[in-house]
Amino acid sequence: MKFSTTDPASEPASILYARCTVDLKSGSMHTEDVPCRNLEDVLGGFGRSFQILSERQINTAYCEENPLIVNTGLLTGSSAMTGMRTYFSGYSPLKESKKGLPAAMWSTGSGNFGVKLKWTGLDELVFEGRSPKPVYAVIRDSPEGPVVELKPADHLVGLSTHAKIMALQKEYSNAHFAAIGQAGEQWENVYFGAVGLSTDNQLKSGEDKMRFAGRGGMGSLMGYKNILALVAQSSNKIKPLTPEVKAVNINVVKGGGAARLQPISRGGGGGTWAAYDVLQAFHAVPVNNFRPQGNDLPEKLFREHVEKQFMIKSEACYRCGITCHNNIHEKSEDGSAGSFLAKFDYEPLNLLGTNIGIHDARQAARLIHLSDNYGMDSISLGVTISYVLSYNERHPEQPLLNGATFGDFVKIEELITQTGRGKLLEIGRGSKRLSEITGETSYAYHVKGLEIAAYQPETNPGYAWAIAGGHMSMGTYGLLTREGKSDIDSWVTGITQTKLQIVGFDMIGLCKFFDITKGICTQMVVDCLKSEFNLEVTTENLAAAVRRAFLRGLALELRQGYEKGEYTLPAEVWEQPNPNIKLPNITNPEFMAELQKRVWAVFEPEMAGLLPEIE
Amino acid sequence: MNVTIQLIGTFQIGRFKEAVREYPSGTCVREVINELRIPDPLLGVVLINGIHAGTVDILINGDTLCLLPFIDGG
Ligand code: SF4
Repeated sequence: MKFSTTDPASEPASILYARCTVDLKSGSMHTEDVPCRNLEDVLGGFGRSFQILSERQINTAYCEENPLIVNTGLLTGSSAMTGMRTYFSGYSPLKESKKGLPAAMWSTGSGNFGVKLKWTGLDELVFEGRSPKPVYAVIRDSPEGPVVELKPADHLVGLSTHAKIMALQKEYSNAHFAAIGQAGEQWENVYFGAVGLSTDNQLKSGEDKMRFAGRGGMGSLMGYKNILALVAQSSNKIKPLTPEVKAVNINVVKGGGAARLQPISRGGGGGTWAAYDVLQAFHAVPVNNFRPQGNDLPEKLFREHVEKQFMIKSEACYRCGITCHNNIHEKSEDGSAGSFLAKFDYEPLNLLGTNIGIHDARQAARLIHLSDNYGMDSISLGVTISYVLSYNERHPEQPLLNGATFGDFVKIEELITQTGRGKLLEIGRGSKRLSEITGETSYAYHVKGLEIAAYQPETNPGYAWAIAGGHMSMGTYGLLTREGKSDIDSWVTGITQTKLQIVGFDMIGLCKFFDITKGICTQMVVDCLKSEFNLEVTTENLAAAVRRAFLRGLALELRQGYEKGEYTLPAEVWEQPNPNIKLPNITNPEFMAELQKRVWAVFEPEMAGLLPEIE
Repeated sequence: MNVTIQLIGTFQIGRFKEAVREYPSGTCVREVINELRIPDPLLGVVLINGIHAGTVDILINGDTLCLLPFIDGG
């Protein structure tokens, strides 16, 4: 980026970002410095990409006019801790309104690809059209500026995410990679393809320790465009750590923000896996398609039980002191770590474990491994499978597909393998479409066409207003469980004021674990921007930009045909209230109706004028 | 007075899962947290008899105090 102001809020046009537009059909490309329209453009990520998407009327995700936008955030590649994010945006093949129009979507992941991409000198790639043949794109720095090339990718066809990355590593040194798996290649039948992002750990060890941009099928959109992988090749351009950023980084690791995600050996909480123990105290760990049974079944995948059998390595993306990854290895006879099995983050572990009746750590690891290597979003995959299992439990005489039921590992493994290979469009197109075919929609656990995360909907009415997936684009998932808020005022304030700020992380290039409760509108972020770019920004400027970006996303949903009635939860929640969950029941129709009325009363007036007119 | 203390997740490491402990009357939750050396950044939820409570709340004889770690996305 090029800065000729210190005041990005008042003079955004004095900041230019480098964008390369690639016409995949002709192979032509055009790099330009684009002036920022507002602070959202300066911050980047979805704050910028959604403005590009809002300029287009897209009626189906798989069309040449739907771009795939790959960008970074302002602090990606900086010395600020967790500054490693890459964003993939486009109209989603998976998330759609009841009218059948695709929703704008982004997904994001860490790993080192985003850092390398930033260091090539490019801030954004816009892929237009569709390549006639499979290709991969190489982005590299050069004395003349960033260079982008498309290369034939026939040798990558049919490989897993990990295998593609390892194959490319042999050709490109000093590079990092983003790759789809077989699922993304089978985009017609898999709408939730993910993008795997390489980590240093993966490239050094050869183990499939990737991070993923999973949500909303951006890997499938990449597959539709016939782009199988991206290579970012650059020398290391990290700036020397200043005392100011160093102080922030120490605060991130040692202060309130991320201490609880640190490894247990360092006095932390042990990553997101710790949610199992906490939610189980309320019998709110999803079991068998989001129907907790009030028993101790979820405890079988508690860390304390898993570590008796396996070695758990706490690992991190390069340079990150948070170390939030829990990687499960075989335990060798001498007690050392054997072969790598899978990562145990809370979401994949629950949704490909307890929530499909799998309580054996080795089996859960195998399913996560398959999901990652075929390149699927573990949330959408797991929840669509749990829908199938729930249907089969209700219809034993006429089950769906192979008749799998909760806990039937062999048949579930077969479902995942077949879906990853593009052979099971019933699962590959997600729970909304499948439930509309069966006619039994009440227990399909999606909101607005996107499967929910591993937090019971009974505990989170805020799911309804999340603009890009349940827990990471609306931070209300702990409002009842953690904060004990069951009154309507707290929920209106949470959704419309405090908890929407979580999406700021998906603009600026930082992980949410940088400071998940406070968001990006903090002195820590202000200090980083001053130190890294000499930008003078206030926390109020940041909060306003994040709010505008969020509301633009909401306005874009309405323009894509969403009706107010779709801002709701799966009907089973109130049709069959679950008596086992030990929390106040707030998700009754009356509460939701009042919440809808009051939330829209706040949001709607502010949404006016946020989207450009389109023909 | 006797208070039943329940610890969840990593709070059990080096401590206990559940124990009945004796405290002087008027003891508040904060004093128990300090006594058990539970680090503040890790503390997520306080329940007294299953109801969300705060660290300044006063415990009474027969209460069950449950301390839970923070949860953070996935
Ligand atoms: S918080 Fe976790 S995912 Fe984010 S950069 Fe650090 S180690 Fe990677």
